[in-house]
Amino acid sequence: MESGQSTVAAVPTKEWVLEPETEYRFELDPGTSLAVKLIRGQAEIFGTELVDGKAYVFGQECKAAVFTWQGCTIEMSPILSLCTLRCPSTEYVSEETPMAAYANVHTALEQRRVRALQAIRGSPISDDSVPAEPPRVLVLGPANSGKTTVCKILTNYAVRTGQGWSPILVNVDPNEGGWAVPGAISAASVNTPIVTSSTANTLGSVATSAPVTLSSNALLPLFYWYGHKEAKRNPLLMDRLIRNLGQNVQDRNEDPEAVSSGLIVDTPAAFASSTGSGLKDDQRQVLIKACVDAFNINIILVIGHEKLTIEMQRIFGGRINVVKIPKSGGVVELDHSYRERVHGYQLHTYMYGLRIEPPLGVSDATLGGEPITDLTLAPSSLQISFEDLAIFRIGEEAMAPQSALPIGATRALSEMQPVAVDPAKGGSRLINSILALLAPPNPDEAERYDEEVLDLTVVGFIVVTALDIPSRKMTILSPNQGSLAGRTAIVGSFEWSEQ
Amino acid sequence: MKLPAFYLLDAISKNVYEPYARHFTPFIIPLFLETYEQVDQNTRSKMEEMLLTWRTGAPNGKELFGVGPQVSIERAIWGGGDSGYGADASRAGRGGTTVAPVSKAQVLSELDFTLSQRERSLQQNPYDTTAQNHVNVLRQLRTLVEAGVSQDELRDVLNQLRALARSMPAPPAAAPQQPSYQSPPPQPSVPQYPPVPTTFSQPATYGVPASEPSYSHQPSYSPPPRAETKPWASTLPPASALLQNTIAPATIPAGTSASVAGPSSIPLNNIENLFSALVKAGVVSSNNGTPVGAGATAKVEDVKPGEVDPARQTSQEYRRAVLSQKIKLTNADITKQRPQVVPFLYDRLSSQCKQCGLRFAGNSIGKKKLEEHLDMHFRQNRKAGQNVGRGHSRSWFIGVEDWLHEISDSKGKGRADRRLTAKEAAVVAAKEEEAALRASHVVVPPGDEAKPISCPICKETLQSEFLEDEEEWVWKNAVKKEERIYHATCHAEALKSNRLAALMRSEKASRSRSVTPDKLSLRTTPPRGGNSDADGSVRVPASPSTQTRFAGTKRKADDPDSPIKEGGGTPPLKKMTISTAA
Repeated sequence: MESGQSTVAAVPTKEWVLEPETEYRFELDPGTSLAVKLIRGQAEIFGTELVDGKAYVFGQECKAAVFTWQGCTIEMSPILSLCTLRCPSTEYVSEETPMAAYANVHTALEQRRVRALQAIRGSPISDDSVPAEPPRVLVLGPANSGKTTVCKILTNYAVRTGQGWSPILVNVDPNEGGWAVPGAISAASVNTPIVTSSTANTLGSVATSAPVTLSSNALLPLFYWYGHKEAKRNPLLMDRLIRNLGQNVQDRNEDPEAVSSGLIVDTPAAFASSTGSGLKDDQRQVLIKACVDAFNINIILVIGHEKLTIEMQRIFGGRINVVKIPKSGGVVELDHSYRERVHGYQLHTYMYGLRIEPPLGVSDATLGGEPITDLTLAPSSLQISFEDLAIFRIGEEAMAPQSALPIGATRALSEMQPVAVDPAKGGSRLINSILALLAPPNPDEAERYDEEVLDLTVVGFIVVTALDIPSRKMTILSPNQGSLAGRTAIVGSFEWSEQ
Repeated sequence: MKLPAFYLLDAISKNVYEPYARHFTPFIIPLFLETYEQVDQNTRSKMEEMLLTWRTGAPNGKELFGVGPQVSIERAIWGGGDSGYGADASRAGRGGTTVAPVSKAQVLSELDFTLSQRERSLQQNPYDTTAQNHVNVLRQLRTLVEAGVSQDELRDVLNQLRALARSMPAPPAAAPQQPSYQSPPPQPSVPQYPPVPTTFSQPATYGVPASEPSYSHQPSYSPPPRAETKPWASTLPPASALLQNTIAPATIPAGTSASVAGPSSIPLNNIENLFSALVKAGVVSSNNGTPVGAGATAKVEDVKPGEVDPARQTSQEYRRAVLSQKIKLTNADITKQRPQVVPFLYDRLSSQCKQCGLRFAGNSIGKKKLEEHLDMHFRQNRKAGQNVGRGHSRSWFIGVEDWLHEISDSKGKGRADRRLTAKEAAVVAAKEEEAALRASHVVVPPGDEAKPISCPICKETLQSEFLEDEEEWVWKNAVKKEERIYHATCHAEALKSNRLAALMRSEKASRSRSVTPDKLSLRTTPPRGGNSDADGSVRVPASPSTQTRFAGTKRKADDPDSPIKEGGGTPPLKKMTISTAA
């Protein structure tokens, strides 16, 4: 992000020659960026093929790997970091990758797609050994096992086959952020490869009014707002949102190719183990079950976790194909502060677009194929009256943990209860809070119900930047100049302020 | 989107038959043809396939909707006047002098139909190598026909197909169908699902309809294969024999020379002729035709469905290749096997987009796709150029309804235009337009205030209202065109989707049909409305009954209040229209 316009005449670049089926891995520090250029051969980043001669820029602590099936030569720009030139904090070539296994998984999924399409079209069936169900995949794994990467690779491979597939990529990890901001769970249909350039939009980015060259920068996801980063905060709400999302995914109107493409669901690490996640085993299983039911899962991929594989086989073994896949050695242990920074990047990118200063000497830089300048966005600051927006918080303010309740007592209702937040009252804690603006409710009054706000999708996110209690007005940062697309908002536990 | 509706109609007619098929009959022709005009190539081939099944769809093995409709639909689709039934009827003079030209599309589609049946039976009998051969031959033949052959050869192929289909007991639908259509006049029902075991004991039933000499071998032919695939058939009670006949369509193993030789000899000759003609023409090398053998030719009937365009063929190749991979989704297979993914992701797709790296096949289809893809980039880049300097911002996300109906465009063609900024712009523009339309009104001619008038498009009553400003009674949301009053919104939508003409035509048609008993003409409405509505592009307001799912989202401008008004004091006529339509 820092633009060190130092005068460096000849910028040294560095070439890496990669053997077939090896990958070059790098990790960027905050505030640095890196450009990668493919010189010879063929290479891909998380399943998205690189075009040779084009400079791909990475930033915002991106950690990625350039993999090659056939061997290639790549050229790395030096890192730009506060006017000093150096190498990425971590870079190395690895010969041990799980890509072979992932490719096999892809082939197996592809067979199901083909069979499903045959079945839909009523064409003669050519192979009975493969079920004629579209692959609906749930990816489970402990923290830092590369779940999102696996989802991305499988999705990218599917859309690259040239068969017109458009799998639905689902993100039910509120910590991940998916396409927009953390705290949301979402689903989008993907039909061109998703590029990797920043931690701010790991799954491709959502449509803006800026014209973009790549369709993967213009995805149209559907969002529900959970509002917290941990699943343990409100598992009941999570369960409900997952089911809502799944219902919509199943109701989607699609052509035969899209239906056959199936879907791929990325999950939070909390689903995989109870240690550290705060979820009890039964809660965890309930949430997994919710996913399985909601998305009609027929394949579970467990990344490098033997015990979980066994557990899943025990629970779902009869009807679901549970497969353990290896974990990549390249995954990076991420700490809490890194996650916090990434959340910051994501929100900033949501409001202001993605802008990464390319390294020096890289003139034709692209962010995964997109000219950098086009991705800059302008949000707008609006003043609205308290009455313009009904704000809710889901569940009680300070909830005692379930375990603190008397035995047998249940609190289901209050956990799901939308509680109106009055901005005029002290302690509303709205300043700097991220609000999820909800789609308008059912226009028919008779169809309304108390908890309807739980079932409304998100049309956008706004941030409360100032409160003027005497005049009952608040200032918000809205992603665009238009009027607010809804009059209801939910506040979660995320806060953001511009640095 | 229209296809499912047809399948439903198809299913109802075939399974229930009486009285639905009878009721569908009066309008099946325009319905089918109109739809056929509007749909894309894939759907067309599906519809053709379905049409072929109608030939024998009735429980008695005859034309589902009678000979007349069947013939006229086939004629309209494949053109060539008599080529469908005509050529068939004159099949006696096969190889000779049929009058009408045979269209390639028709031949292909029959080939496809037969092949698919053949393949299906092969599925049930995977070890039948003869059948396998036949499928291969049919496929070969298909490619030949596709590559283009002369009119005579086409006719030959077609005749052969029919002859073979007739001689083949295999596909339950195909075999008995033939007799029924060469004799359009009322005909003793053909024993597709013989109610009595007579079929088995009296092969002559087959011969009955076959008035032509070329048929004479049939009786002697049909029983043997049955006897030999199911040698015990004769000892079983007739019912179970019948069951077997339908469940396990008897394929003719090569060994049944006695039975096969008879019927197939003629086709064989013909196919040899055909092949030699082709060889002469240089279309095919001579070794292609010969290894087929008698048994194989006997099954030329069987060709694959809907392969008319080469694009599907390439994707079929892909599918075959993918399915040939021996990978199971198990822990061991995933980790132990060598992945064969590179050919699929790289080698098979030799041309690459230099902008985003997406790959396309190196053949002509891939090139075309790549061109479309580059066009998309070009449009987007141009738009980007136009927008330089203007501020951009994040759009609001789309709502559930839009998301649910966002049809993914696999080709990426125009995707961004349609979905991004354009989408929002379109929504806004559409809203403004709708508001303007809603504001438009037509002054009610004096004396006509009480007269209920309904919109010719949606058939619902126009609501009249007293406009204070002008001190006049007006019809809200109305527009007057050619002396008729329409809902402004209906009219605009109909114009917009450029379907008004078609709609009016069909309306005329349905009015002309109203000579048929009332309930018949009433039944015409739902399917037609359903078709146009289910297809998202045609937003002609349909009758309320067809709008179950979209109710409330895509209704006309003044609908939101209509449920309330219906409750109290709507003119009775409105209720009538609704119940009529439903």
